[in-house]
Amino acid sequence: MLSLVGKDIHVEFPIYDTRARSLKYSLGLGQIAKGINRLANRKINVGGQIGMGETGRVVIKALDGVSFEINEGDRIGLLGHNGSGKTTLLRTLAGIYEPVSGEIRTVGRVFPLFDLQLGMDQDATGIENIWMRGKMLGLTERDIVDALDDIAQFTELGDFLEMPTRTYSMGMMLRLAFAISTAVTPEILVLDEMIGAGDAAFLARADARLKNFLSRTGILVLASHSMPMLRQWCNKGMLLEHGKLIAYGPLEEVVARYDGMAAS
Amino acid sequence: MVSVTWRQLDSAAGDLRDGILSWRLSQFLAWQDIKQRYRRSTLGPIWLTLSFGIQILTMGFLSAALFGSTISKSVPYVCAGMLFWSLITQMINDGATLYVVSSRYITQIKSPLTVFLMQVIWRNAIVAAHNATIYVLIAMAFFIVPGPSFLLWLPGLALVFLCVSWMALVAAIVSARYRDIPVMIQNILMILFWLTPLMYFPEQLHQHRFIADYNPFTHIIALVREPLLGGTPSLTDWLVVLGITVFGWAGTFVFFARFRARIVYWL
Repeated sequence: MLSLVGKDIHVEFPIYDTRARSLKYSLGLGQIAKGINRLANRKINVGGQIGMGETGRVVIKALDGVSFEINEGDRIGLLGHNGSGKTTLLRTLAGIYEPVSGEIRTVGRVFPLFDLQLGMDQDATGIENIWMRGKMLGLTERDIVDALDDIAQFTELGDFLEMPTRTYSMGMMLRLAFAISTAVTPEILVLDEMIGAGDAAFLARADARLKNFLSRTGILVLASHSMPMLRQWCNKGMLLEHGKLIAYGPLEEVVARYDGMAAS
Repeated sequence: MVSVTWRQLDSAAGDLRDGILSWRLSQFLAWQDIKQRYRRSTLGPIWLTLSFGIQILTMGFLSAALFGSTISKSVPYVCAGMLFWSLITQMINDGATLYVVSSRYITQIKSPLTVFLMQVIWRNAIVAAHNATIYVLIAMAFFIVPGPSFLLWLPGLALVFLCVSWMALVAAIVSARYRDIPVMIQNILMILFWLTPLMYFPEQLHQHRFIADYNPFTHIIALVREPLLGGTPSLTDWLVVLGITVFGWAGTFVFFARFRARIVYWL
C-alpha cells in the first residue's frame, strides 16, 4: 500500500547573498521582513515568507508547517500562485529537500519528473541519449533494452535515432525525451507542470501514452496552473499559499477556493 | 563545535553505502564525461595520453638539466610522480566543483550525494589509466624492472585513492557553501606542487629537506611512486598515509553527516 504522509513540514532556504546580509547588518532585516510580511498578508499573493531563521540568518520560509496524508490511488492536483511553495513541496516529496523540521514518511519509490531532458546530451545520438536518460531515471540495462523498441516506435524517429540529437528539431527532441521518461512505471509520480508542446498529431498520440503512463502509477502529484489539465488527471486538490497548506480535499472544492482567492 | 545526531550519522552511512553500491551508475557517468569531452575529436581520449607524455618529457629533461641528475633517472621519476600528482590534484579540484557542476541533477533527482564523488573518482581513474601507458613506455625505454616491492603497489594505490577521496569530499561540501573555496584550493595545490618532490629528489633539498618530510603529499606520492621505480616506500610513508586516511575519513564522515542534508539548500 503506497502512501505519503507529511507532518508539520518546514522547509527554509537560507539566503547567503551578500547584499541581503549587509542589508541585515546595516538596516536590521527583521524590520524589513516584518514589513514585507505585513504587505504580503494584506494583498500580495506571491512568494514565500521572508524571515529570520533560528541562527539569525535571513531565510525564506518556503514551506511552513505543512501536514497531509496521501494514499494509493490518490491523484493530487497542487494549486497555488507563483512562489507559493508548489515546487518546493514536490521536491520535498521526492526526498530532494530534507525538511528543516517535521517529518515525511514515504511508502513506495518516488519518481520525480521535473525536467524531461535532464541528463541528455546534444552531441550524443538518440540511442545514446536513451541510455543516458534511462540510467539517470534509475532504469536497469534490461529495462532499457526492453523499452528501446517501444520508444523507437512511439517517436517515429527511425534512422534519426542514430544521429546526434543536435540535428533534431525541438519537437523531435521533446518527443524523444517524453518517450523515454514515460517508459517507466512509477509507484509515486511527482510532476511539475505538464508536458505541452509539439504539433497536434504528436499531442494526440502523446495523450494516449500519457493516459497509459499516469494510470499505471500508484500515486500522482501534479502541480499546474491549468484547470483543464488538473480536471482531466486529478481527483483531489491541494492549495498552497505562502508555504502553508490552506485547503486539501476533493478537487472541485479546492479549485473553487483557489478561484475565490484570485477574485478577492 | 559541530554537533551531530545518530540519525544524521545513520543517513550519512546509508548515503555512502548507496553511493558505493550504485557504482555502475557512477562509472557510466564518468565514461560519459570523458566521451563528451572528446566527442568529434579524432584522437579522443588519446589526447590525454599525448599531452601527458609531452608534459612529462619536458619536465623530465628540465629536471635533469636543473638539478643535475641523469636523464635515465629523472625522466621515469618525474613520470611516475606526475602520474599520481595529476591524479590526486585533479580529484581534489574536481571535488571542489563537484556539487556545483552537478547541481541540476541534485536538485531534480533524489540520489545519494556520494554517487557524484564516485563519479569523480572513476573519471580520474580512467584518465590515470590512459596516462599510465606513458609510464609503461618510459619504463621499457629505460629498462626499469620493478622489484618484489611491486606487490605492495596495488594496496598502496588503493590506500591513496581512499585517502584522496575524503579530501575531495570535504572540498566538495565546503565549496558548495563557500564559492571562493575552489579557487583557494587550486592555489594551495599549485604551491604544494613546488613543495612536493616531483621535479627534484628530496635529497636535493639538502638542509631544507624537512620541507618535503613534513609535507603529507610527499608520502602519498612516494607510496605509489617508489614501487614503480624498483624501490620500496618507507615505513614512514605507509604510516603517514594510513594515519591521514583513517583520521581524515573519521572527521570527514562526521562532517558529511552533519551537512549532507543541507548541501542541496546551498546549490
